[in-house]
Amino acid sequence: MKFYTANADVAAERKVAVDDMILTKTMPTAAGSRMLDGYMSLFDAEAITKLTNAGYAVAGKTDVGEFAIDLVGETSYNGALTKDGTLCSASVEAIKSGDVPAVVSLDVNGSVRRAAAQNGLVSIKPTYGTVSRFGTVPVACSGETVSVMADSVAQCREILDVLVGHDDKDGTSLSEEQCALVKTADAKPAAKIAVLTNFCEAVDDAVSAKIDAAKAALTENGVDVCEIADEKIAVARAAWNILMSSELCNNVSRYDGVKYGYRTQNYTNIDELYTNTRTEAFGELLKTAILFGSDNLSTENYMKVYDKALRIRRVVCEAFEALFRQYDAVLLPACSKLAYTEDDIKSDKYIAFEENQFTAPASITGLPVVVAGSVQLIGNKFSENMLFETAKVIAKEGE
Amino acid sequence: MDRETLRRLELLNQLSLTETQKEEVTAFFSDREKDMAMLNAIDTSQTERQVHVMPIMTVVREDVASQPFTVEELQKGAPETDQGYWCVPQVME
Amino acid sequence: MNYETVIGLEVHVELATKSKIFCSCNAKYGAGPNEHVCPACCGMPGMLPVVNKRVVDYGMKAGMMLNCHINRTTTFDKKSYYYPDLPCAYQTTQWFAPVAVNGTVEIETSKGKKNVRIKQIHMEEDAGKLVHDLAEDTTHVDFNRTSVPLIEIVSQPDLSSAEEVEAYLERLKMLLRYAKVAECAMEHGTMRCDVNLSVRPEGSDQLGVRTEMKNMNSIEAIKHAIEYETARHIDAIENGTEVLVQETRRWDDIKGKSFAMRNKETAGDYRYFPDPNLMPVVIDDEWYDSIRESLPELPEEKFARYTGELGLNEYDAAQLIKSIALCECFEAAYAVCGNAKEASNWMISEVMSILNQRKMTYDMLNVNGTALGELIKLVMAGEVGRANGKKILAAMFDDTEIVPAEYAKANGYIMSNDVGLIEKVVKEVIASEEKAVNDYKNGKEKALMSLFGRCMKELKGNCDPQVLKSVLTETLNNQ
Repeated sequence: MKFYTANADVAAERKVAVDDMILTKTMPTAAGSRMLDGYMSLFDAEAITKLTNAGYAVAGKTDVGEFAIDLVGETSYNGALTKDGTLCSASVEAIKSGDVPAVVSLDVNGSVRRAAAQNGLVSIKPTYGTVSRFGTVPVACSGETVSVMADSVAQCREILDVLVGHDDKDGTSLSEEQCALVKTADAKPAAKIAVLTNFCEAVDDAVSAKIDAAKAALTENGVDVCEIADEKIAVARAAWNILMSSELCNNVSRYDGVKYGYRTQNYTNIDELYTNTRTEAFGELLKTAILFGSDNLSTENYMKVYDKALRIRRVVCEAFEALFRQYDAVLLPACSKLAYTEDDIKSDKYIAFEENQFTAPASITGLPVVVAGSVQLIGNKFSENMLFETAKVIAKEGE
Repeated sequence: MDRETLRRLELLNQLSLTETQKEEVTAFFSDREKDMAMLNAIDTSQTERQVHVMPIMTVVREDVASQPFTVEELQKGAPETDQGYWCVPQVME
Repeated sequence: MNYETVIGLEVHVELATKSKIFCSCNAKYGAGPNEHVCPACCGMPGMLPVVNKRVVDYGMKAGMMLNCHINRTTTFDKKSYYYPDLPCAYQTTQWFAPVAVNGTVEIETSKGKKNVRIKQIHMEEDAGKLVHDLAEDTTHVDFNRTSVPLIEIVSQPDLSSAEEVEAYLERLKMLLRYAKVAECAMEHGTMRCDVNLSVRPEGSDQLGVRTEMKNMNSIEAIKHAIEYETARHIDAIENGTEVLVQETRRWDDIKGKSFAMRNKETAGDYRYFPDPNLMPVVIDDEWYDSIRESLPELPEEKFARYTGELGLNEYDAAQLIKSIALCECFEAAYAVCGNAKEASNWMISEVMSILNQRKMTYDMLNVNGTALGELIKLVMAGEVGRANGKKILAAMFDDTEIVPAEYAKANGYIMSNDVGLIEKVVKEVIASEEKAVNDYKNGKEKALMSLFGRCMKELKGNCDPQVLKSVLTETLNNQ
């Protein structure tokens, strides 16, 4: 694990870490890739500026999987972080060790949420556009969102409040009035929740037990918990994989050994420089995603594949809108099991492209989602306050 | 995914795969065909594409120029530079 | 058999904005290598694109000048390919909903008038510059031009000769310069042109094999390339000298030949897709109307007004409409002095000749038209002599802040109506120019002119010539 400590003398409760998708001026940013080993950004991410202005010290950076598209960080060029054959997340370790109470991350493909769920931590991926993406390493810009992971709902909310706000430097940033809704909207737990049963069927017993526990806690607190199956939300994964890989392919095409970062030593012409640099510096999961993304955008496939995925995005958004007319929030698991093993990735290199079935619905729609008690709760746009209050019920926080 | 298409994708993306990787990628692509079948089962002929998740429009800035960084700063991490230029092997048109 | 050439043009024009299209870097020429570069335009991660509003203004304006339909919702897309002058390995352009579509440009050639249809105008970012001759094995990369805003004007294949192409390009230049959206100087690379050309038997309704030629940097080169390429196509069709293929060719102006460009297996798949970081630009009525209202009068409209309402002759009007800068200076001068003929004379015989002497283009004219009007007024009122007026004008080229009346006073260019002074000078001159006086008395009219010139010189030109002439002849005759 890579964990820099830059501000050791700061009081622990004013310290946070950021993951290695967030650009920092004083610490290198590698995005988990050999390509950016030792890369120093000339500027800080807006998230860093906001944290610093609010009196928080960025104590260090936590490692991520290569461009944050994997399960929990195992594809970092530093190697997978493991404990007894189980895959660990660097952000989780930073919190569990007590070094920092919270980590600010870029949630690209749900690794933050999976890691939080597997370790009983809390995370919030807020409404798309409420936290600036300025200074984050771009991967899947249409859905990725700056997120917070912490050991409690209260801590998560405290850091999110610091991060939320309009930014002129991000063209997808929402207005100050809309951003303010994240903080000012009704802070009451959900009254009615839909549990998405088709997702609950795809998990092991340990995760099922967590879902049952969450349902029980909610019911006990007077929340109306209903079970529904929704076939449309279930296809989010397939569409998200197309959109994410295509955007990724385009975004990582800038890494070519010319301007900065890794350059191969083995070249005699420009094409060899490009190809050998990228072939040597990129990992296998990333390469596969690049090729898949490129294929989706080809002249032959664009309408059949990419355009289709854009239409499915609307189908999924509309399915959620329909649900939110009846329910305050949607409950579903965040992962199929509570620990991934090294064997899991050995037997299926591309498991992240299946396992993200649970996280893709919130990624593709930009809807806010909280992880607490090892389950996900997705709410309507700007419903963060309601999600936090409901998460407290599930996590039995403040009782 | 046939080998010729895969080769074209490699060239297009400046990547070179080993034989094993080619097999794995081919398997990955065939799983994606199952995904496509799932997507195609949903009729989207009456559905508009959705590029952005938030309906924001017309984000523009004023035409004001500024130059916050020097060439030296920009090229600090560059693999090869000369006289303020980035350098690559001779490119023939 | 007779053949006809079918030509369509893709014209790239750099827009005259202060900053780049998606970042705030300076967009002006003339900096050292990579001095107009920031993390965004050298491909570093983390900066997000935000559209320069003036680029949309200018895109719309260009569209309106070319009679296009303006797409009220216009979007940006990414186009991917690897080349060292493209730092992100993608170019942001407009593929799905360009700012303007379906226009027309009227051109006039020896064969008469013709409409050239415009398919579309899209906004995009320029690429950087590669320098090949600083070292033997190395290409040097400069990103100063990366992300400078461009519009690409795509015509339908409506052109059929080098002459028409030239007329079309000249017309585009004039319209875009009138609208002040671009410099359009091929010699500076602010206007560039790709030529799509095919040849077919006259009267055929099927298009031949089309080739695209790039890298032409003057109208002469374009004309030359069209002639060469037409001959090459006809030769291939008639004599089977080669098999024509649809390809991109590079024009080598020194060799006078076109060459097929290196054809990678990958060529052609640019994988366009909508940019998730750039929101659709929606042009509301207020914005649309404000651009519409800012459109300039067209050259023909000016010509009609100048020759009609203002009573200028056709030659003078034709001179003035060559450049919007001339027109604006003229119109401002006329507004102040109220005499169109006089203002036009000053423009054509004085302003344009100084521009020529100084080897400045008409568009480089920097004289303040209002000040010129004031100067003309002073001369017309007899307060400043015409010769001194010209001196003041020359000074106004060097210093745009000059107020003519003040400058005339400060430099002793104010006309004197002091008859006593004139008589005194005349007497002195007559006393010192005995020979000329005698010549005059012996009937040599030329001698009068010489004496007149001497007097005018002594008076520093600040004297009404009629007054001087009458005082001079009277004094001579009374001797």
